Amino acid sequence: MNRPLKPVYLEEKLEEIRSDGHQDYRSKSLPTWCPGCGYFSVAEGFTFALNRLGIDYKDVVVVSGIGCASRFPFFVSTYGFHTLHGRTLPVATGIKLANDALTVVAVGGDGDAFAIGGGHIPHAARRNINLTYIVFDNGIYGLTKGQTSPTSALGFRTSTTPYENGDEPLHPLMMLLSYRASWVGQAYAGRPHHLADMIATAMNHRGFSYLHVLSPCVTFDKTDRTYANLGMQVRDLPDDHDSGNLMGAMAEASHDDAPALGVFYKEDRPTLDEVMDATNKRSTAG
Amino acid sequence: MTKDMNNTDIQIAICGSAGDGTIASGDIMKRAAALMGYNVIAFDLYPPEIRGFGKCISRIRISSEQTYSLKRESDIFISLNDNHAIPHVGEVRDYGAVVFEDSLIARVPEGRHISAHIKPAQVPYAFSIRQISEQATNSARSRNIVVLGFIAGLYDMPARVFHRVIAAKFATKPQIVIDDNTKAFDAGMRAGGAVFKLDDVAVGKPRDYSNGSDAVMMTGNEAIVRGFLEAGIGSYFGYPITPATSIMERLAVEIPRRGGQFLQTEDEIAAIAATIGAAYAGSRAATATSGPGLALMSEMLGLGVMAEVPLVVVVSQRGGPSTGLPTKTEQSDLNLAVYGGSGDARRIVLAPTNVEGCYRCAGMAFEIAETYQTPVILLIDLYLSNRYETVIPSEENTFAPKPRLRPEIAKGDIYKRFELTYNHISPRALPGEEGLMHTITGLEHNEQGRPNDAIHSVMSIKRHEKLNSATRFPGLTVCKRFGDEGPVDVGILGWGSTFGEILETMFEAQAEGIRCSAMKVVMLSPLPMDEIVAFFDDCREILVPELNYEGQFANLISGAVGRPVTRLSHVTGSPMVIAEILAEVRRLAGSATPKQKALGS
Repeated sequence: MNRPLKPVYLEEKLEEIRSDGHQDYRSKSLPTWCPGCGYFSVAEGFTFALNRLGIDYKDVVVVSGIGCASRFPFFVSTYGFHTLHGRTLPVATGIKLANDALTVVAVGGDGDAFAIGGGHIPHAARRNINLTYIVFDNGIYGLTKGQTSPTSALGFRTSTTPYENGDEPLHPLMMLLSYRASWVGQAYAGRPHHLADMIATAMNHRGFSYLHVLSPCVTFDKTDRTYANLGMQVRDLPDDHDSGNLMGAMAEASHDDAPALGVFYKEDRPTLDEVMDATNKRSTAG
Repeated sequence: MTKDMNNTDIQIAICGSAGDGTIASGDIMKRAAALMGYNVIAFDLYPPEIRGFGKCISRIRISSEQTYSLKRESDIFISLNDNHAIPHVGEVRDYGAVVFEDSLIARVPEGRHISAHIKPAQVPYAFSIRQISEQATNSARSRNIVVLGFIAGLYDMPARVFHRVIAAKFATKPQIVIDDNTKAFDAGMRAGGAVFKLDDVAVGKPRDYSNGSDAVMMTGNEAIVRGFLEAGIGSYFGYPITPATSIMERLAVEIPRRGGQFLQTEDEIAAIAATIGAAYAGSRAATATSGPGLALMSEMLGLGVMAEVPLVVVVSQRGGPSTGLPTKTEQSDLNLAVYGGSGDARRIVLAPTNVEGCYRCAGMAFEIAETYQTPVILLIDLYLSNRYETVIPSEENTFAPKPRLRPEIAKGDIYKRFELTYNHISPRALPGEEGLMHTITGLEHNEQGRPNDAIHSVMSIKRHEKLNSATRFPGLTVCKRFGDEGPVDVGILGWGSTFGEILETMFEAQAEGIRCSAMKVVMLSPLPMDEIVAFFDDCREILVPELNYEGQFANLISGAVGRPVTRLSHVTGSPMVIAEILAEVRRLAGSATPKQKALGS
């Protein structure tokens, strides 16, 4: 075991963190998440990504729905819109279309995205609206204190499934792939550096990018999606994974017991604003 | 009453089965009348099915003076299908004309032919519509144009105007279609010109537009589109629903030409959500729907109120509840428009009463929404959406955006999006603006927009009181009184499309010697209370006719003023009937003592 020879002083470490600028993206409001929540990693990764991409705060709008994850906009210093439960994507679509100079990032939890908001995802994906959608998936409703979610595992016990969950969980990655999202990736809150990389890559994509973040709820899930369990289950996508192959991506996404991290699929096709520009041109021609 | 020969006021009704070309024929008639310079009001009735044999009626009122609704009785009634037409023969006035096919008399059973149902005082005009059509075009399909020619001949209207309208209507079709229709029209006109005429069957001079402007004929929905376009609409998100769809279809053509954003969303929730997003980002954004769509949008309307986002929602009501009567009119979404959603969510609701009102309200809606930073609902109904009226548009565009109230903060200061101000309106920053980053939310929030429960009472006051001055918004008619001034026996209080019938009733009641006034209320939320209370003070009896069963407007007004009113509900899916209002006005005028009828009884 190598012990550090030099002591690390807190002040020095903090100075190092402050000096790279990414902390400037954090607002003065302290997150309301529980200590140990995976969502801190997402917030940290998001600020790293914005800093790395060099995007001005004033040009970023973070749009969210309702839930623990959706409190996110309050904790960053960009523009933010905390909307209604499940309605993140249509609001974000309106914002992006009205001003395409803005960088729009939609965030939400698994309930917000796939239960109440599930009807909007296929349409945002097929239209290829140029924004990034980050779903923080902890497989539980945290803000309402621990009820089952559409991604909760079979047999999972919560206050609304006291005799075990019997509903087959959804497969978000397979859904997004079949909706023709033009960028689909997965990250894990327990690997914050990779997560930050993935957020930056997703935001760099031209078109609709969907990043699925596996994240433990340390308060209401002590048995299933814990750091210990997820840490054992996750794997990297194989080195030879072809992110241009939809069926290959689908096959990788179907492994429930060993979720893969990385870019499953990406595709270059016209975005909604480009399509709309072309429509506008056609409307005045002739 | 003596007829002024220079003054025209005729109503033509064409009745047929779907597929007879009834609506097309009525369309040519009203466009020709508008081209001739007459004031036109027209409304079509058609079945919900696209294919089939449902009843279609096109009614067109042509006048040289300003009129406000269709007349109680038609002057000319044309039957293209006797089965459908027989129940409507009664709507023709005495000495009015009933035009029908004569060749069927020998072939249909006793009583099934319209001639057996014409009243003695009505004037029958039987002619061989089918035969003339076949001779002119080798087809019975031009019967609808033949009857049009017959009317033009009967009234001695200029053929060239009809030729022009026919050519324009079929401009995208092969030339033979235009030629055949013109031939059918001319043949019908020769038949109409050759028949015996009563003295008062003639048209007088067109309407006098002394200001020299050109009148344009349009529907309520077309007027809303025109108002939106003149106001510089930037974004429209919508989901098809009768009777609002034609707004969406027109904007699908016009918005791309102006470089804006038009998108058909996956549902009404997404439509209003995207509208809120675009409005938040600074675009003049709108959506349009009907009652069922508004029900879905109600939660988002609450977000618009809470997060103080300016947006415009057009609601064209149809019969309800639930899917209800999709192609029939009703005024039963007032409660939903004024109150719908969770919590105390006061919003602005404008209910124009005619096509011109649709144009003006739509033109001003964005400015009102931006001024008060709140949703504005334009509440109309199928009758107003689809009825045609001649309108004189503004000479110059008065609806262009005015400069937005922008935040000014010193460098280093924290921007407060919901700053408490003397008029409760806070300068609004748009995303992308330097140094004004903030987050808005549907949660109760403090001045900076941070979630905060403790400030709820203060913020509730802000959101409600900021709308108080809306009833005095410059250039906007929020209510208007017509008829006798000073104390009257009967005051008719109305809203929306029904007000045309109310005004026509008031004129008839005045002619009978009843002291009578009518007041339209255009702004339903917030209510112009001073004017309404003054009207109550002046009227011994208040009558509220409306197209819903519960008396939703009566409840709103009666609750706000704290005095009882007499309700008149009409829920047949058709517009209000003048005779019904008039009977009630006569009854109320005759009752010596003020009504003590309890609310809701």
